Amino acid sequence: MVRLYPNRCQLVGSAFISGFLISLVRSFIIDYYLFCSFQIHFVILISRQGKVRLTKWYSPYQQKERSTVIRELSGLILTRGPKLCNFVEWKGFKVVYRRHDSIILVILNLYASLYFCICIDPDDNELEILEIIHHFVEILDRYFGSVCELDLIFNFHKAYYILDEILIAGELQESSKKTVARLIAAQVNVTERCVSLAF
Amino acid sequence: MEQLKTIGRELAMGSQGGGWTGQSKEFLDLVKSIGEARSKAEEDRIILREIESLRRRIAEPDVPRRRMKEYIIRLVYAEMLGHDASFGYIHAVKMTHDDSLSLKRTGYLAVTLFLSDDHDLIILIVNTIQKDLRSDNYLIVCAALTAACKLINEETIPAVLPQVVDLLAHPKEAVRKKAVMALHRFYQRSPASVSHLISNFRKRLCDNDPGVMGATLCPLFDLITADVNSYKDLVISFVSILKQVAERRLPKAYDYHQMAAPFIQIKLLKILALLGSGDKQASGHIYNVLGDIFRKCESSSNIGNAVLYECICCVSSIYPNAKLLDAAAESTSKFLKSESHNLKYLGIDALGRLIKINPDVAEEHQLAVIDCLEDPDDTLKRKTFELLYKMTKSTNVEVIVDRMIDYMISINDNHYKTEIASRCVELAEQFAPSNQWFIQFSVSNNFTFQTMNKVFEHAGDLVNVRVAHNLMRLIAEGFGEDDEGADSQLRSSAFNIELLFLHSELEFIYGNSTHIAAKILNNILCNKFLKMVNSYLRILGEPKLPSLFLQVICWVLGEYGTADGKYSASYIIGKLCDVTEAHLCNDTVKVYF
Repeated sequence: MVRLYPNRCQLVGSAFISGFLISLVRSFIIDYYLFCSFQIHFVILISRQGKVRLTKWYSPYQQKERSTVIRELSGLILTRGPKLCNFVEWKGFKVVYRRHDSIILVILNLYASLYFCICIDPDDNELEILEIIHHFVEILDRYFGSVCELDLIFNFHKAYYILDEILIAGELQESSKKTVARLIAAQVNVTERCVSLAF
Repeated sequence: MEQLKTIGRELAMGSQGGGWTGQSKEFLDLVKSIGEARSKAEEDRIILREIESLRRRIAEPDVPRRRMKEYIIRLVYAEMLGHDASFGYIHAVKMTHDDSLSLKRTGYLAVTLFLSDDHDLIILIVNTIQKDLRSDNYLIVCAALTAACKLINEETIPAVLPQVVDLLAHPKEAVRKKAVMALHRFYQRSPASVSHLISNFRKRLCDNDPGVMGATLCPLFDLITADVNSYKDLVISFVSILKQVAERRLPKAYDYHQMAAPFIQIKLLKILALLGSGDKQASGHIYNVLGDIFRKCESSSNIGNAVLYECICCVSSIYPNAKLLDAAAESTSKFLKSESHNLKYLGIDALGRLIKINPDVAEEHQLAVIDCLEDPDDTLKRKTFELLYKMTKSTNVEVIVDRMIDYMISINDNHYKTEIASRCVELAEQFAPSNQWFIQFSVSNNFTFQTMNKVFEHAGDLVNVRVAHNLMRLIAEGFGEDDEGADSQLRSSAFNIELLFLHSELEFIYGNSTHIAAKILNNILCNKFLKMVNSYLRILGEPKLPSLFLQVICWVLGEYGTADGKYSASYIIGKLCDVTEAHLCNDTVKVYF
């Protein structure tokens, strides 16, 4: 009997089995976390140059995976033209992104835009997620006064607090800007009082 | 003087409505230098240097608390940029024990960003969370609840569950809202431990505060997805809530771009779609309010279109109603005709849903769909392929599959390649118009199969094996039932070469595996080859056979010639020897003996 590829057969055969088992286990784990069918998996803010400004992970991702995700998505999203859809398909998920240019910077002709990216399940309402991003940006605008990239760079922990009021466990928690603003203000007041006391 | 200058700059940098940042000059310098770094390598160097210096300083005794807070924030920054700062985790945990709200909050923030719910340090935090959930200050309770949503896992749920349930009745709506979300999260982690508390979700649906009500829709959606029938009694409540929202009876604060609480509307529509699916009676309650929303929706804003899209999804999943279907079809037309790519995308998706109910809807939009197919936007193209997949009939299957194969060859994303490949095969299986088409399909598919082989080598999941199985079955079955056709096909050596190639490739990949599909594959092929033996023996006598073809014949005869016992080994060898004498020049042929 003529064996065309004697050695590779066995090698690939066993790799196939182990790869198969690993992917089966992995998909089982991911299924566990996709119990809820509509969920946000992560939120990433990156600059036009691909620099990370904010990341929030609602599904389990290891540190190394996070870097890979950010790299891949930056490559995918930053190269898209302005008129195209605000949604991309990526590894079986959908990523909704929105570019934000602050008014001040536009007036000053400084080209520094921020990309807000949210990863969702394929069946979710993409336009709604786009509007959730807009909702978040409007709240940031209200808080920082026409938010620009610099604000987020120097106050990223504040942005986290705000994000935690809007999204929790990957779901939209609060759709009223007023309520979010009130809560943040209450927290900041207490903080400021503490700070002034420290002096 | 220096201090004043620093404070001045800090105020200028970060104070626009945000209050004093309270960070030192060092941190500002760090962030600035990262911002000005020209390459990832430089950025990495700066951060690693920062991490080293923090590692030294954080371990010092008696670091003032505010300074520690800033160190923790800097560590959060370092981790966000992808570096490891695990030495700082314990300090973040310690900070959550602090009494001051500002430090406690920073501690909780850091801890939720650093840790995952299976980390060893969680044990140290559970006690703090328990204590904070009982605090008098509602802001502390909120911070603890937010942390609980991320950090509590199946084992630690019982430790905090009773307090969270109590907090569902807290006077402050912010607390109730977060308690609902926390309970939802616990349910997702471990349904069994929370199942007796599900009635609480129903109660919160009637909460006075719309924010809490809106938040309750999340867990209710999950519960209904898991078990529709227990919640059919809520249809009327949901419809009445939706009606109130649409009539603008919620506070103005929930308005968003002139639409009344659109996010809540969308959640309700998703829930109603589930409850009304396949149920004529439940759907009957929903028709009116759906009609109202269709009429009132602002189609000029994004969020208005988002709500419209959700309405279309709802209409297509509940029991069909002619008027609503018309309204849905009209909205879909508007989406498809619009200039915006986002709306075209939604239009294609909506069309896909409507086709399931009424296949003729696609007819009038053929041109728009083809435009989307030709569009340079990848996302739109893929969506349109999904639509085509749903639209395939026996009349257009050839065109559609050809298109899909072309597209598949052109893309780089392996994951998506295999998806399209399996779709192609499923379609071919279902709708194949003729054997001839099968052969051509397989011929063109061999090229794609080669690309798929590469994918098979790296991927390892079930879908690919099924694809291979189906593909081979197609080729094997599409061999032609009648003898005449079979004869001419035999003569097409190209086809046989492919068959051989495919067989060997499969052996190569699945050779030693005990995979059932591979076995079936091999069996099918063996059967085919057995049948071919007869024909091959007949042809051998003819002169001037292409040498490649000859190789194939020889191999097949060698493998299977004696398999069914019809011909003795000597007979076959005799025949083969005659051939060798006739084709002395070809060495390769000889190898095949």
